[in-house]
Amino acid sequence: MMHKPWQISRRAALKGLGTAVALPLLDAMLPSTAFTAFGRALQAAETAKKTPNRMAFLYVPNGVHMPDWTPTKLGADFDLPPILQQLEEFKQDFMILSGLAQDGARAHGDGGGDHARAMASFLTGCHPRKTHGADIKAGVSADQVAAQKVGQLTRFSSLELGCEPGAQNGNCDSGYSCAYSANSSWKTESTPVAKEVNPRLVFERLFSDGSEGLSDATRAKRTAARKSVLDFVLEDATQLKRRLGSTDQRKLDEYLTTVRELEQRINRVEQASGQGLPNFAKPAGVPGDYGEHIRLMADLMVLAFQSDLTRISTFVLANEGSNKSYAFIGVSEGHHDLSHHGNDKEKQAKISKINHFHVAQLGYFLDKLKSTREGDGTLLDHAMIAYGSAIGDGNAHNHDNLPILLAGRGCGTLSPGRHIRYEKETPLNNLWLSLLDRMDSPIDKLGDSNGRLKELSA
Amino acid sequence: MRVFTLASGLLSLGLLVIVFAGANFARGEESAADPALAEAFAGQVKPFLKKYCTHCHGGERPKADLNLEKYADLAAAAKDRTVWENVLENVRDGVMPPDPETKPGQAERDAVTGWIGKQFTQIDCGLAKDPGRVTIRRLNRTEYNNTIRDLCHVDFRPADDFPADDVGYGFDHIGDVLSMPPILLEKYLNAAEQIVDKAIYVHGPEKTPLHHVDAVDAGHEGGSARGGGWAFPSSGAVFVDFDFPAPGLYALRGKAFGQQAGNEPARMAFRLDDKQVHVADVTAVDTEPMVYETQVRVGGKKRFSLAFINDFYDPNAPDPKQRDRNLFVDWLEIQGPLDGPPPAPPESHKHIIFVEPDKNNHRECAEKILKVFASRAYRRRATKDEIARLAKFVEDAEGRGESFERGIQLAMEAVLVSPYFLFRVELDREPNNPQAIHPIDDFELATRLSYFLWSSMPDDELFRLAAQNKLRDGDTLRQQVLRMLKDPKSRALVDNFAGQWLEIRRLKTMTPDPKRFPGFDEELRQAMLTETEMFFASVMDEDRSVLDFIAADYTFLNERLAKHYGIQGVVGPEFRRVALSDPDRGGLVTQASVLTVTSNPTRTSPVKRGKWILEELFNSPPPPPPPDAGELKEDEKVALSGSLRQRMEQHRANPSCAACHQRMDPLGFGLENFDAIGAWRDRDGEFFIDASGELPDGSKFKRPAELKAILKAKKDDFARCLTEKMLTYGLGRGLEYYDKCAIDEIADKLGKSDYKFSALILEIVASDPFQKRRGKGTE
Repeated sequence: MMHKPWQISRRAALKGLGTAVALPLLDAMLPSTAFTAFGRALQAAETAKKTPNRMAFLYVPNGVHMPDWTPTKLGADFDLPPILQQLEEFKQDFMILSGLAQDGARAHGDGGGDHARAMASFLTGCHPRKTHGADIKAGVSADQVAAQKVGQLTRFSSLELGCEPGAQNGNCDSGYSCAYSANSSWKTESTPVAKEVNPRLVFERLFSDGSEGLSDATRAKRTAARKSVLDFVLEDATQLKRRLGSTDQRKLDEYLTTVRELEQRINRVEQASGQGLPNFAKPAGVPGDYGEHIRLMADLMVLAFQSDLTRISTFVLANEGSNKSYAFIGVSEGHHDLSHHGNDKEKQAKISKINHFHVAQLGYFLDKLKSTREGDGTLLDHAMIAYGSAIGDGNAHNHDNLPILLAGRGCGTLSPGRHIRYEKETPLNNLWLSLLDRMDSPIDKLGDSNGRLKELSA
Repeated sequence: MRVFTLASGLLSLGLLVIVFAGANFARGEESAADPALAEAFAGQVKPFLKKYCTHCHGGERPKADLNLEKYADLAAAAKDRTVWENVLENVRDGVMPPDPETKPGQAERDAVTGWIGKQFTQIDCGLAKDPGRVTIRRLNRTEYNNTIRDLCHVDFRPADDFPADDVGYGFDHIGDVLSMPPILLEKYLNAAEQIVDKAIYVHGPEKTPLHHVDAVDAGHEGGSARGGGWAFPSSGAVFVDFDFPAPGLYALRGKAFGQQAGNEPARMAFRLDDKQVHVADVTAVDTEPMVYETQVRVGGKKRFSLAFINDFYDPNAPDPKQRDRNLFVDWLEIQGPLDGPPPAPPESHKHIIFVEPDKNNHRECAEKILKVFASRAYRRRATKDEIARLAKFVEDAEGRGESFERGIQLAMEAVLVSPYFLFRVELDREPNNPQAIHPIDDFELATRLSYFLWSSMPDDELFRLAAQNKLRDGDTLRQQVLRMLKDPKSRALVDNFAGQWLEIRRLKTMTPDPKRFPGFDEELRQAMLTETEMFFASVMDEDRSVLDFIAADYTFLNERLAKHYGIQGVVGPEFRRVALSDPDRGGLVTQASVLTVTSNPTRTSPVKRGKWILEELFNSPPPPPPPDAGELKEDEKVALSGSLRQRMEQHRANPSCAACHQRMDPLGFGLENFDAIGAWRDRDGEFFIDASGELPDGSKFKRPAELKAILKAKKDDFARCLTEKMLTYGLGRGLEYYDKCAIDEIADKLGKSDYKFSALILEIVASDPFQKRRGKGTE
């Protein structure tokens, strides 16, 4: 029979997933029984290593009602307008960065399609090519830049999460392929990274590889089988690629890259064997309640960061241009329709209500991060959470003066608790460069970046 | 979607602009020199550019890197198709020149857009036709599921858990758009493992049925949950009630550890009902819990429990670690019968492993089996080399002491993850020569056919014809298409073509406001979908005229939906064909599914409905609103007191919006008698519905039936639109300007065949873009 170390099952803890109850993680969940010793040992091992920095990007569509978002005062003494009021208890943990612009989202002669461009440019900094499908092109997104540089340090180089799948049919936005408005993460300039919207599947991917309950010998056989299958298909793909035209070769390149990456991942898992995988309880699927859906995803990000399964994540709360109804908070109109408020006060109030709802979920996420002890601080101290949109006001479709919030201390590299206003037209991409520096993934340029953001650390 | 010109009769709908939206022109071919075009370029276009464009888009540092000064003559201009296409869109939509520059008048704009349209879309259909080129296409989720069903004979839909496929040109199976994110390959690998496990039976201990229960989920007597396991500070038990299916030998297991104290280890009793069958000394400690097992002969319903039976507590023991003995249980397991006969292999197993090897011919059998499997999976003949490489999996497995069947499983896994399976590969002898036009081979044609009509792989008959190279013989292709349309698998056209063309896939995400529409529920949602699906299927199955899509005197209803429509005499939950006596109801635009997806959650949207008609029935979508158009200010009084129609008419007073809204809004007004979930209404709140309207061409209507009659009379426009949609779907690529000739021909023949559905499919299958391909030009 198998003799494996006792895994601390966080099952009980996970039963609280997605609820408003603070998730008791490692320390908190350990009763003063025999389990404690193991937990302490784990933690000691964890702190012995340098605590890593994490980076997450949360996207909300259709802009934000800016008068209810932007603090009037600058600096540490900033005020909290109605949408942000609910983050009072985290006021020292985040900063509001006003005045940033994403130029890639602008028309530049391409006409309508601000929603598609906003999502596609948010993290890539690029002006996406206008096309229904042939030759989609944006750029490598900031999260993927980091994933390609430091992703090999963790089992998953990055996580891509969302709540709405890509559009099922139809033209997404004025001649732009739906790939643009549904994906914030781009692995190459032509490959958006599909996001996972089902918490159960995220969970399975992170925490179970289907080999639970298998003996070590069976598991080793399975790994060997997988490797031999991947070797086989790699040969097929290499052969096939030689016989194709240029466009088709690009598709095969995507395939080849993913095969190689999967091989590496299998090797990494193998090297880490003996650890086994935690035996968590699975979320059942996509919850009917949207808030619960977002919170489950937030929980999973927290768990993935905490277990150092990945350090990089994107999370699209709703696709750009989403016309979702928020009837559960008393806003039954579609979000996108409402966002064209025509300065109607009533509509603006409803937009503000939707923004408020999204920020409440952010609050849940921050709370989870902050209540997770790690080393001599909390997980939030070792993270950088960027939240916002590449549309300012949904009615004006402007791409400057964007709503951007940055939470966490980034392992001491950020000094939150302030409202900073940057000079008009300061590229949002400068912020991404600054974050990439803090992920040990510096690059020279992203889109229209013209430097690093100043003042992020006091 | 329309990539070439021209308003094709849509002028009658008042469409004055050239519709040309596709935005992508593969290459910059020059059309035959035409003196009128040269004259137009010199006489109208160049002066226009100079007057309105080149002071920004010219000189040393042209804005947006667009230099419009460099085109000295027609020959120079004709080389840059994409540039002009872009110019067309910007000028047509009024985006350029931007405020506050002087704006050209309508006549000037028409002259320029007219020239671009003619210059870049005039094609001589008498010359060698360009069939275009389909980018290598990976199977989308639907195609993957269907193909697995037909290839492996398993009832299993692994792709339901794959990430959603991105959409381009209105459909989710466009080769250019379908990418291969890393997560997908993981899914393919996992799916392959599960598929072969279901399809092929491999005997082994792990195949013995196993019942596993986590201690926290089991029944309990005493103790409490601790960190995911169950802890017993004093005596107690965890148990599970189990019906041992057949008398036989079963393994009972429990994973546990003890907090040790006193002079003996923690003890865990295995019990069946009240009978103790085994006692384990649980010497394991928290850092390394162990699995304890016993085997017993048993049958029938029993309670299996694991009990802590030797509690120890001495608070005065000198060593604090020796004061308390406790037991922790993680899980319980029952496996068996261990000595039963192996179950019969599933049908799929017999299908795939159609020869049983004896002692001496394993290699030969493996090759036979894998040749058939790989050829079907790759949709062509597998090569000798491929078969040999696959057979090696069997050899290696047997070399490791595993079974023949296990080896076949591994080879199948490799096939199912191979690019030859996951992608639909079509090869060119000269992959980078755009002039090298050639017919696709019979296997490729069979594959195009089957994915077009079935969203799945070819069946045995298609494979047989392809192998004999007879698919194009005489009347064969036609016979095959008709056979395929009759096959139940052609239901895929309803789900995938109609579901996307009509946008009704979105129905499942629609959220009508429960306050305003309390009658809307899941049952109604499903009924709406079923109506449209059955209606589409009836046109297909009965080979009716596609014009019935616009207006028909029948539909499919059950009691729920009939009541929603206010139609009497339909009783019971089952759907049936119902003749419609009310001419206002009937045809796609009056079906609740379409009416709901084109509404806002709280109200109807005449704009969305009008846009839907233009886009989906006439492939003539209005351009997007110019980015600087801003929002119209509502007249306070009207906003407060007017009907929706009055308020919208107020909006249309703005000339910058009027041109397009004059096309969209009247169409939508004509459907105002249908509320936001498709029920009939005579008034909206306090206002009577006014469903009359006038289209830009002057045709007038008073109610939905009359609007539909006007639309139905635009036969050729609709036929052309449906041709374009269906061709896009059939090819899996966006249409290009050079497809114009094929579309003309198909639409023309469709009209000559009384618009019969089968004619549409047959003509598409017979067309050059479907039958041929060419190499890719350099970009």
